[in-house]
Amino acid sequence: MRKDWQTLELCDRFFDSIEQRDHEALESCYAPEAVIWHSHDCRYQPRAENLAMLKESATTQQKVRYRDRRIRVFEGGFVQQHRIEVTWANGFKGRMDVCFVAYVRNGRISRAYEYFDTGQVDRFLPPNDPAVATPPAS
Amino acid sequence: MTDGEIRELCETFFDAYQDRRLDILDRVLADDCIIWHNVFGRDTTKADNLAGFADSYRGQRRRTYDDRIVDTFHDGFVIRYQLRGVQSSGHTGSLWICIVGRVRDGRITRIDEYMDSSKFYQWAGIEEGAT
Repeated sequence: MRKDWQTLELCDRFFDSIEQRDHEALESCYAPEAVIWHSHDCRYQPRAENLAMLKESATTQQKVRYRDRRIRVFEGGFVQQHRIEVTWANGFKGRMDVCFVAYVRNGRISRAYEYFDTGQVDRFLPPNDPAVATPPAS
Repeated sequence: MTDGEIRELCETFFDAYQDRRLDILDRVLADDCIIWHNVFGRDTTKADNLAGFADSYRGQRRRTYDDRIVDTFHDGFVIRYQLRGVQSSGHTGSLWICIVGRVRDGRITRIDEYMDSSKFYQWAGIEEGAT
């Protein structure tokens, strides 16, 4: 049986690795079969596609921070509420409130569900940015 | 509260919303309950929400909270669900919503709601920008 602290550690490692652009650590957080669902398109994104998207995001974002992290662990996973703050390459500072629900298998994230409001995308993405559909956190 | 009690409280809350049972909502929400919506980004009170309940149903024939997936933790729950609405016009639509709830002594003390407001007009079957 896994302990709560192991799930908490996984959660922190996952978001810290995105902040620190540690792609190797990020990859290690996902189980091989991991899928990530986003509320803006209700589609399950495969692991490889999600990792590629995160890697690409790092090239257009100067800095990413997950602020006000509130984490709760439940049997089989965790939920984290946070506010993502991004400083884009052009200096625009964006922010978005996000809820991230993850299910864990063998110490890795096997499924995740991310909820956010694309109705507030103008607060998150720089003006006239074509990447409107880019999910904010994962 | 036990896992079972938290789960039951969560289901009671959503059943009450679905069945328009203000008396039950009044019972399950703590008097100091805070309700936060990501769409507005501000805290609202129990009184605000109960007072605005009838308005929130305006133009709608029926609402169901379907495909509820509930996970519980020591002081609360997270629920993911599909809000299906049938409007007076007959239009049906769905929104996918996640709520994190905190509980204490058998009542809900905080609700954080996450939804995508860009889907709202489609859900309601009205032109964007219409009121």
